[in-house]
Amino acid sequence: MRKLMTATAVLALSATMLAACSGGGDKDNTKDTANTEPTKTETATTTDEGTKTDATAQPSAEDELLNKKITISIYYPLPDQVENRKLEDDKIRRFNEKYPNVTIEKSDWHYNVNEIGVKMAANEAPTFFNTFATEAKFLIERGWAADITDLWNKYEFKDQINPTLQNQFIIDGKVYGVVQKGYSTSTVVNKKLLDAKNVAIPSYDWTWDDMLKTAKAAADPGKGVSGIALMGKGNESGWNWTNFLFEAGGQIINTEGGKVKAAFNSEAGVKALQLYEQLRWDANAIPKDWALGWGDAVGAFSQGRTAMVVAGAEGPLEQALNQGGMKPEDVLTYPMPAAEAGGKHYGILGGDYLVINPNASKEEQEMAFRYITFDYFTDDWLVSVEKDIQARKAEGKYFIPPQMNYFKEDSDYGKKANAIFNKYDNVYKYAAESNALLDGQPEAQYNTQDYYAEMTNVVQQVFSKKGVDHKAKLDEAAKIMQEKFYDKIEVK
Amino acid sequence: MNQSALPIQPSESNQTRRTGIVQILKKHLWGYLFLLPALLLFAIFLWLPIIKGFVYSFYHIDFVKGNTFVGWDNYKTVFDDPDVGKSIRNTLYYMGLALVMGFWVPIVFSIAISEIRRFQGFFRVAAYLPNVIPVVVLYGLWRWFYDSVGPINAGITKVFGGEGIAFMTDTKWSMISIVFMETWQQFGSAMLLYLAAVLSIPRDWYEAAEIDGAGVWMRIRHITLPSVKGLIVLMLLLQLIGTSQGFQAQLAMLDGGPMNATLTYSLLIVKYATTRLELGVASAMGVLMFMVLSVLAVIQFRLQSKGDN
Repeated sequence: MRKLMTATAVLALSATMLAACSGGGDKDNTKDTANTEPTKTETATTTDEGTKTDATAQPSAEDELLNKKITISIYYPLPDQVENRKLEDDKIRRFNEKYPNVTIEKSDWHYNVNEIGVKMAANEAPTFFNTFATEAKFLIERGWAADITDLWNKYEFKDQINPTLQNQFIIDGKVYGVVQKGYSTSTVVNKKLLDAKNVAIPSYDWTWDDMLKTAKAAADPGKGVSGIALMGKGNESGWNWTNFLFEAGGQIINTEGGKVKAAFNSEAGVKALQLYEQLRWDANAIPKDWALGWGDAVGAFSQGRTAMVVAGAEGPLEQALNQGGMKPEDVLTYPMPAAEAGGKHYGILGGDYLVINPNASKEEQEMAFRYITFDYFTDDWLVSVEKDIQARKAEGKYFIPPQMNYFKEDSDYGKKANAIFNKYDNVYKYAAESNALLDGQPEAQYNTQDYYAEMTNVVQQVFSKKGVDHKAKLDEAAKIMQEKFYDKIEVK
Repeated sequence: MNQSALPIQPSESNQTRRTGIVQILKKHLWGYLFLLPALLLFAIFLWLPIIKGFVYSFYHIDFVKGNTFVGWDNYKTVFDDPDVGKSIRNTLYYMGLALVMGFWVPIVFSIAISEIRRFQGFFRVAAYLPNVIPVVVLYGLWRWFYDSVGPINAGITKVFGGEGIAFMTDTKWSMISIVFMETWQQFGSAMLLYLAAVLSIPRDWYEAAEIDGAGVWMRIRHITLPSVKGLIVLMLLLQLIGTSQGFQAQLAMLDGGPMNATLTYSLLIVKYATTRLELGVASAMGVLMFMVLSVLAVIQFRLQSKGDN
């Protein structure tokens, strides 16, 4: 008998391990299961001002999706994003009031280019997940973003969505994602640091020359303070540099006769590298330890160890104001400088998007789409965000609105949102003059990350050795990109 | 006569063998049952991935649209990629540096601590402490140590003047800096093993040597080191295997830069697999590495068996 018990225990242990090996994933274990009585009706009502008032909206009785039990897993904020989690929980509650037949699973997996392949392979990606503007082509080519054109065409507010941002996920007329917010890469400036060193604050309509002078004057290498923390590590280094390539009038690639050709080894590219050379060697304005990724550079900014950083403004502002203890008036958001006076202030267009998992069923996809757009253009969201601003104020924290919203700023809804932002002094205000100069440029659609990696290598060579032959280095990188990647692409 | 038409009769020797296997199974049934969980774990997390790695190295992997057989193409990509050669050189350099800078440290510390009569426990814990620091904290800490205005450069500029050393961004220093940091963090665990071996050497050998007039160095050279020789060889092989697969610090601190100076072979595999999503090429690189490391593992196994005997 004892032997039998032991054998059973061993087999049970083995079975437990097998069970433990299967399933799991990043899904938050909490499920918001609503009762399954499909009684209410769909389709939000729309006010005269083009705003949904969905707290009172009732789904229509003929909505088939109400008669089906549907489970969707949603992109849920990380555990340290307490306020955002509260906002999302409130949204889930309201969504379930309207769609009681839907079970919502919270997934705190956040998009990572290094993990998406594994997630899709294991069918572990949530029903919808976040991603970035850079990823559109990459996800679409691999079949990792559902074609939601039909859902989009039926969406009543599609014409009020910011077209510049949304177009990043409309490829060949098909829609693959929904924009949440966006930015045009900017230069965030520590005004307090410039004031302390009596450095003149440049005008928003500034040039490379102004950036160079400001960085040189602000830098204090002996104290570990740099004028500008250009990124020099990881793919973000190539990404940082590409802003300057655009400003100089360059492009990453050209497509001619169905073929993709590397174009960054142009005169514009050389000019952009020369600026880097000047900042590094002539002005001694970048950190001595220039092996900085995004987190390192933005961290240095929030610690007051650099006067400027090139990034989407929201990240540095969030860190500087809510972690670095700076005040909104200490931090200015500039457009990227023009190469020369009168030139364009191009910055790489970036943004956050939500993409629906193509492995989900059609019903799940539609319900995910409804969830994504549930709060768009609603008064409920405005109420939620106002509460969030008030809660932050009580805690001495700041609210950083997106630089570019999913809605058009001049729309009625945009005006309502801005009216709320303007009411509170703990909301960061982007200067209108600066915003007017922003000029977002989309990235290349082919092998963008490989290009950034290659350019990171070139930037590192410029930072490592004075007098590097810029044209030769760019040509080398272009040759590698051409032979390794671009030659294999056929543009349809 | 057509022999194949005859029913095949199991030979007597086969039957005997089968009975023997059944008897062994019966005799050791509980042992095998207790082994089952471990066997399952090994099968799922070790053997299956190894076999799959071999298979995948001949495929273009696309988990959504399906895999495509590509023959030797992935291996061709590996041999055509100039970064592979660079990463092998970097890996060998890293392994060499780890030997020169780090291998002797735990031996010296273990001998030194074994000689300490008071507070030995404190020194053991103190030496092991860096091992328990989470790596994220460790990397942040050492980025500050290596900073242009960090404590190391502050000391250097105070003593020697000049501008200090760009530990992270100077290609001459970047790998050395990583190895130094890793030595500091990891020597403690090896030291504990050496210390156990050193303390197990009979004290009367040392006393006899002292009576014969042997000094400290003679005692170390003729008693301590020969007594722990087997362990030293084993640790050497383990270190070679471990460092040949190193990529964590290189990835976290410098992402393989500057100018690929810290791009190790394993880091390149990681980049192929995760950033470029070329899982077939990454598998091919893994298979090639597996073959090289197998040789080291066989040597280690043989030495260990020799030691046991």
